[in-house]
Amino acid sequence: MEHRASEICRFDGGLAMSSFARLGFKFLVVAGLMAGGAAQAQNFRTQCPTSTTLHPLVNLNGVVTGTSADIYPNPHIKCQQVSGGDGYATMADGTQIYMFSFGPLSGLADIVNGKPGTQPSAVFNQSNVDASGNVLDAIKVGAPDASYAFNGAIGLVPDPTSTPPNLIDGHVDPRLIMDVGVMNGNIPAPLIAIDEGDELFLTLTNVGMIMRPDLFERHTLHFHGYPNASSFYDGVPDASVAINIGASFTYYYLAPEAGTYMWHCHISPPEHLQMGMVGQLYVRPRQNSVASGTDLGVALKAANQSSPGSNGVKCNDVLCALQMPLPAGANPSTGATGKVAVPGRMYAYNDGDGVSGYDVEYPIQLHGFDPNFHFVGMTFNPESFVDTKDKFFLMNGRSYPDTTVSGPLNTQASDGTPHFSQPLPSLINIPAGKKALLRFSDLNVTEYHTLASLGIPMHVVAYNARLLRDMDGNNTDYYTNSVTLAGGESVDVILDATDTTKYPAGSIFYLYTQQLDHLSNDAENFGGMMTEVRIN
Amino acid sequence: MHAMMFSVRQLLRVAAVAATSLCLQAVDAAVPGITGPSFNLVAAAGRISQPDGASVYAWGYGCNGAPTSFAPTAVQGANCPSGAMQLPGPTLIVNQGDTVTVTLTNNLPAAAGNTSILFPGFQVTATNGAPGVLTREAPHGYSVTYSFVASTPGTHSYYSGTRGDLQIEMGLYGALIVLPKLNGGIPTGYTTPAGLPVTCRAVSATSPSGQTDFRLAAAAYDNPAACYDREYLFQFSEMDPRIHVQADQQSNLSCASPTGCMTIAIEPYKAAYFMINGRSMPDDMDSHYAVQYPNQPYNGNPHMHPGEITLLRIIGQGRMQHPFHEHGNHVRLLARDGNLLLSQTQGSNSLAGPLLFTTTTTPGITLDGVYQWTAKGLNWDVYGHVKGGTPGVDTEPCYPDANGYYTTASNPPAPPTAHNYYEWCLDHEKPLEAHAFGDVGSGGPVTLPDPNVLQNGAWYSGSPYLGPDATQRAVGNTPLPPTGTIANSPKSEAGFAFMWHSHNEREITTDNIFPGGMLMMMLVDPWVYVIDESN
Repeated sequence: MEHRASEICRFDGGLAMSSFARLGFKFLVVAGLMAGGAAQAQNFRTQCPTSTTLHPLVNLNGVVTGTSADIYPNPHIKCQQVSGGDGYATMADGTQIYMFSFGPLSGLADIVNGKPGTQPSAVFNQSNVDASGNVLDAIKVGAPDASYAFNGAIGLVPDPTSTPPNLIDGHVDPRLIMDVGVMNGNIPAPLIAIDEGDELFLTLTNVGMIMRPDLFERHTLHFHGYPNASSFYDGVPDASVAINIGASFTYYYLAPEAGTYMWHCHISPPEHLQMGMVGQLYVRPRQNSVASGTDLGVALKAANQSSPGSNGVKCNDVLCALQMPLPAGANPSTGATGKVAVPGRMYAYNDGDGVSGYDVEYPIQLHGFDPNFHFVGMTFNPESFVDTKDKFFLMNGRSYPDTTVSGPLNTQASDGTPHFSQPLPSLINIPAGKKALLRFSDLNVTEYHTLASLGIPMHVVAYNARLLRDMDGNNTDYYTNSVTLAGGESVDVILDATDTTKYPAGSIFYLYTQQLDHLSNDAENFGGMMTEVRIN
Repeated sequence: MHAMMFSVRQLLRVAAVAATSLCLQAVDAAVPGITGPSFNLVAAAGRISQPDGASVYAWGYGCNGAPTSFAPTAVQGANCPSGAMQLPGPTLIVNQGDTVTVTLTNNLPAAAGNTSILFPGFQVTATNGAPGVLTREAPHGYSVTYSFVASTPGTHSYYSGTRGDLQIEMGLYGALIVLPKLNGGIPTGYTTPAGLPVTCRAVSATSPSGQTDFRLAAAAYDNPAACYDREYLFQFSEMDPRIHVQADQQSNLSCASPTGCMTIAIEPYKAAYFMINGRSMPDDMDSHYAVQYPNQPYNGNPHMHPGEITLLRIIGQGRMQHPFHEHGNHVRLLARDGNLLLSQTQGSNSLAGPLLFTTTTTPGITLDGVYQWTAKGLNWDVYGHVKGGTPGVDTEPCYPDANGYYTTASNPPAPPTAHNYYEWCLDHEKPLEAHAFGDVGSGGPVTLPDPNVLQNGAWYSGSPYLGPDATQRAVGNTPLPPTGTIANSPKSEAGFAFMWHSHNEREITTDNIFPGGMLMMMLVDPWVYVIDESN
């Protein structure tokens, strides 16, 4: 096909084009489909199939048997729904600050408890109404509250138009979405965690920004750092599509290689990221489910060989796509490294030698708020990007001393009820003699941060969601007392407290920024980007 | 002076004006520059333009007389007008081992005082001119000559060694590319693994696909892993316009002092312009040597085909760090400051640089990295092939080569004109959509939303699929509402767009206007689309 050098370039007055579909071809087909059944044009909806070609239905034990016993949803299909809207958070000096934010519309019970909101489809697909058609108590304005127990998707109700009728098929009642979703923003955004091999269906539901009725703002969801990404699901509005107010878009991805990624809105990023539409995402390695007693290197070599052309030892392409170099000391024919899987042990990466092993993990996102920018953003005024200067320095949306509070922080809404605004603690508790994995990500929009560890060294094992290892399999991990990150970077650090003489139970260490002026909460001159590491 | 503050809501109005400049012919990139090994440069004053309409007073290096030649020869319209400044300065292209001589003549205003050039990483001998702190300098109206052996291959920077806080801010910086001592041939030790296509080929007029070869060299270093198919240079810098205004106002002061006669407040430093190769978005995506930017000849507009190895030459100029984030995949770092990062294993020449999705730029540091996009592992067929479809109509074969891709090494080999050249065959014919409207695979995991609830981006090809054939089958022969995409035509290109930008998001603005600044759209184009980097 010849490249035509001069494409006619017409321009009708704006990069942002409204989306009235005058596609004759398409309308014909749409009309035909609507006669058939499933209403394509419904705006709010979720998508979370119980099976796919890759992950068919399973039997009671979670196994695909290929028999009629396979009637249960496949547990490797994970789903989550988030709202794109606004909300308020409470800063460490007591300031209530306005934000644009994502909020949870599924997995709320887990989110309130500081856990990822991602659920298998069996949990996600729960009706919000009981058998008599009454809305469950959990689905109410201001959800969740302290006693929350519901982890399903908000809004799901039986679909009257399905065949047979009343299936839970993604059909939602918009009133329920709005009751829960409006102004339910969280900072950071709802935590996403999946396993290698999972399919993720992530529905973004745009509930509008109530404090900014002047904006018909769209939102998107960018999976930051995903290798071999799809442009359509990359969440960059200029490169694909953005979702209007009153509608849902379900992003679909097979989980990428294990690692610490992040996610955020990509609409007007200088504004939306500063205003708070930032969150964390990590993928757990398949090494976590290697059978007990199996050599990790043997398992890694076998996994590598699922890439055609791979000898299992070295990568067959320069970016090591879906591969990991076998550790340099491993037996090249069997892959054995002498490190075997033990029950319950978790790893950050498919290292084959255990270098990224840990006992407890903490995702920690670094970010900053400029209170002037947020005030201007709340009051319909033009924001200055040149003059943006953060005054609140956040670790999981909190500054010291709030970083040491266990459990969620809440912010009072205008009706006096507390909304959980900052569900993720940033306090690091390490059981004596154990190792903690800190999954750091940074989504600041103006500056770099250096985070230092006082007393317990940092073992940097991975950077930008990739294990530090050269292409011969030599580990290039290192020990340090600080890590420096800017927006868009991630690093995996292990705090090793196995030496109980040096790190006895009861010790408290500190993780704090070396930008010493950032140890402040606006005008309060002590606080900021600092948290405690407690050995229990 | 300092900008009016535009609401982000006003972006549409300004961006509308800016975006008309996108309506040009193929405007891809390559790494154009001038060859030596002797160079005659000037330092001169001029003005550069910003997409908000600002015309900023700046200083820069430029040519003094015609250069030896321009490279690569396939880039058209190359020029370096004698005596005129450009920002960044001319990209100097030499071969490893060359004795490079640079004679710099100071045509800056007298009030600027002396100027000079530093070549970090090299042993420089300076003659003529006047003594200076970091190196010998050229006084106003006079020249200085620098000489060094280009012993280290790779990407390097050059910039003023005189009063750098002002002169580098004003624009006195540029790039120096040292091609490895291979004379366009392939590195020692390179062999094509069995069953795979040749991935390292000598520079020639065309590549095996028949498309023009725009490279300066076959590899960035003499290492079998440093081969590439396409290359781009990105220089990151910023400007505080208040400094430029002061320099402009004082440029006519009579002066006889080597340190100049300007009194300029540099601090507090508030950058308002953030540039890649001297231009802010969207100007960076216009062509090289575009007539509307006479003093900003270089662009930032990366394109590649699936599977191609793309070399990124990244330079931190200016004074600020920038987290340069590449959407779409990781970058394998090859080298820092011209030094290959190699494995600890004795005698090994395997790469050891990290895989990064954000390649932070730091002033004074240069990085070389390689990038490649293949759709490996996506779990759906990006070409929308229909299982059980009609070959040649809505499906086509995908025979995997030894690494699983449909290439000339497959059996039977893929024609380079195949719609799905370099397809990842393990995902062949896997549908995305549950019930596709168009003639693409159905039975997949998702239902796409109704187009009424979405807004389409300027680089959206019209469908989730790659290439005009797949897009045509998916959404039909109609332009996207209301007038079709501006910069990624569904009928000829239909590429996958990925934003490459500074992740200090404040920096993708032009003086408070979004979008702008350090932002480029990288297009992964199907092989059927000819990537023409000729200008």
